[in-house]
Amino acid sequence: MEIQNDVMHILLADDDEDDRLFFRDAFEEIKIKTKVETVNDGVELMNYLTQPNIKLPHILFLDLNMPRKGGIDCLLELKRMDQVKNIAVVIYSTSASEEDIEETFVLGANVYLKKPNDFSTLKKTLEAVITTNWQYHTSGLNRDNFILSI
Amino acid sequence: MSGRAIFTTAFLLKGSFIVALFILIFTSSVSYKHTVVIAESTELLVRSYKIQIQLEQLVSYVKDAETGERGYIITRDSDFLQPYNTARDKIKGTLFALQYLTSQNLRQQHNLDSLLLLVNLRLALLKSSLEISSAENLNKRWLEENMTKGRKTMDIIRSQINKMIDLEVSNFNEHQKKYNREISITPIFTLFLFTVTLIFLIFSYLKINQDLEIQKRTNEKLLISIESIKHAEIIGEFGTSQWNLKTNKRYYSDNLYALLGCEPQSFEATVENFLKFVHPDDRHIVTNGVKEVTDNNPFPVEYRIIRKDGEIRFFKSIGKFITDNGNSKLYIGISRDITQQHLTEQALVERNRELEHSVNELESFNRVASHDLQEPLRKIQTFISRISEKELSAMSETSKEYFARIKTSASRMRTLIDDLLLFSRANKIEKVFEKTDFNQILESVRQELSQTIEEKNAVIRSASLPTLNVIPFQIQQLFINLIGNSLKYSNPDVPPEIKIECEIMSAGTSPILEGNASTNYYKISVTDNGLGFEQKYADHIFVLFHRLHNKSEYPGTGIGLAICKKIVENHNGFITAKGIPGIGSTFTIFLPA
Repeated sequence: MEIQNDVMHILLADDDEDDRLFFRDAFEEIKIKTKVETVNDGVELMNYLTQPNIKLPHILFLDLNMPRKGGIDCLLELKRMDQVKNIAVVIYSTSASEEDIEETFVLGANVYLKKPNDFSTLKKTLEAVITTNWQYHTSGLNRDNFILSI
Repeated sequence: MSGRAIFTTAFLLKGSFIVALFILIFTSSVSYKHTVVIAESTELLVRSYKIQIQLEQLVSYVKDAETGERGYIITRDSDFLQPYNTARDKIKGTLFALQYLTSQNLRQQHNLDSLLLLVNLRLALLKSSLEISSAENLNKRWLEENMTKGRKTMDIIRSQINKMIDLEVSNFNEHQKKYNREISITPIFTLFLFTVTLIFLIFSYLKINQDLEIQKRTNEKLLISIESIKHAEIIGEFGTSQWNLKTNKRYYSDNLYALLGCEPQSFEATVENFLKFVHPDDRHIVTNGVKEVTDNNPFPVEYRIIRKDGEIRFFKSIGKFITDNGNSKLYIGISRDITQQHLTEQALVERNRELEHSVNELESFNRVASHDLQEPLRKIQTFISRISEKELSAMSETSKEYFARIKTSASRMRTLIDDLLLFSRANKIEKVFEKTDFNQILESVRQELSQTIEEKNAVIRSASLPTLNVIPFQIQQLFINLIGNSLKYSNPDVPPEIKIECEIMSAGTSPILEGNASTNYYKISVTDNGLGFEQKYADHIFVLFHRLHNKSEYPGTGIGLAICKKIVENHNGFITAKGIPGIGSTFTIFLPA
């Protein structure tokens, strides 16, 4: 696969330090070669993505509940920007409320991932996410496979 | 009815008065006429009598003259000529009187004229007889002839007088006959009139008396109803007003004045005077109301009143047009003091708002608490999983045991939060009802619980279930909880047997359904052969966080059945529980058909 040849760029926007730690640790233990970057909130995320000559991530993990600028606002802005609107967006949230799922789906997120309760599940889930080729997956996207559960 | 009675009485009174007046005028005119006729008769009688006397006298005067002359002729004594000499004048006087008396009778006057001629002839004969007898040479033959002529004339005079008297008598008789005829009809007619009048008067008297009795009773009723309206107004705290559109006169009831804090009828009933009591901010409401009334479209208005003593009261007025007998349009208005009601309503609205607020607060607290509790818990659990993966082997036995307890507590916390979330979701009003086949719901519940069913070797038998209009995911949750409970609290030695039954029944047949609007209910029961429970706990088990078993024996949060109750209530249904320890339990749900 193409991804295995090239390093996969993954970006996480999450204000919670522990969650960022779990996230990085999980990818370190996954056998696939990845480059993980993290930003602390929505504002930082938008600054990061609008840097000149930046190498855009392949997949963006987006927390919903963040100070300054939340995940929903970020998603709205992202989908309006030509250069970044094609990045695969994975919602990565503690809650899995109907309203949030509905709204992010409508706004064009690719998958909804509820933060798991234990580390091994987290690893398995993240592995499943990055081994799916989301670029080609979007066309067949529907409400049923939007929520990812392992 | 009373109005009509009074009307006929008035008519009757007027009628009898007119009839009585007519009869009175008639009888007095009749009796006047009779009096006149009687007077006429009397006069006629007197005149006839006078005429007869005069005629008799006339004859006797002529006779006297005759007798005197005869005496003279025989005796030659001039004394005998005395009556003869005076007779002429006396006869003249008598004739004059007769002429006067017969002036109204043409026939009698003719007769009188003839009599006058005869008398004059007789007198002339007397004179000539006297002259003959006085002559020197008495011519006996002449005298004789003359005397015979005289006697014959006298006979004619007599018959003429008799004729006149006869005529007078017959005249009188004729008149008397006519008079009698008229007089004889009068008593019958008078009697008839009198009888008619009497009957009429008696009838009128009875009728008027009867009407008066009715009027009296009607008056009494009216008095009672006026009195009761007065009391009703006081008890009901309302006043009435009347407005005659024709005369533009208004009337306010005593209690309306009282409601305004005034003495009854202490001011003139006008809109202007009433407006003085209306709160200045609300005057436009009343003026508009009055305007709408004039436009023939009365509607209720609510406004404030400042009573004479300064107290503010809330009023509500409404009215209606009626048309009375006299065809004048009348507006009947009712003004009610609704202060108490208004204050209660206001308090209720306030309470409702507070309640709604606190319910909302509670709900958001519930949601936030369960959501926000999840995050630290998730991290605890993740750290636990990391430690158990990597560091567990390096721990001492005691630490390992403590660590295991930490893990159990954390997952128990997780279950609690998840169940609380479910409960708050069942509370939330997202009532999307759909036609749902309960058999399909049960099938998906079997699948969801398949692992436990297999582990415990459980058998689930179900009757055919109905298709009802429900919230699908809630009904699924309901069956998961009920069947899940049966599986959880099963007898360790016996494989669980769960029986689901269904029947339709009417509301009257079960006491818990009594008085509910929907007549038919589906009764669905879930019976197991598990641990059961003591019947005295039947109501407690539906209370949130209420548990019957030690959590180390049977893990649970005490939320499951509370959720069931909530779900059934969301569907306007009922849930009951029956248990026998060691034998099993039955949960019955009633859902409106």
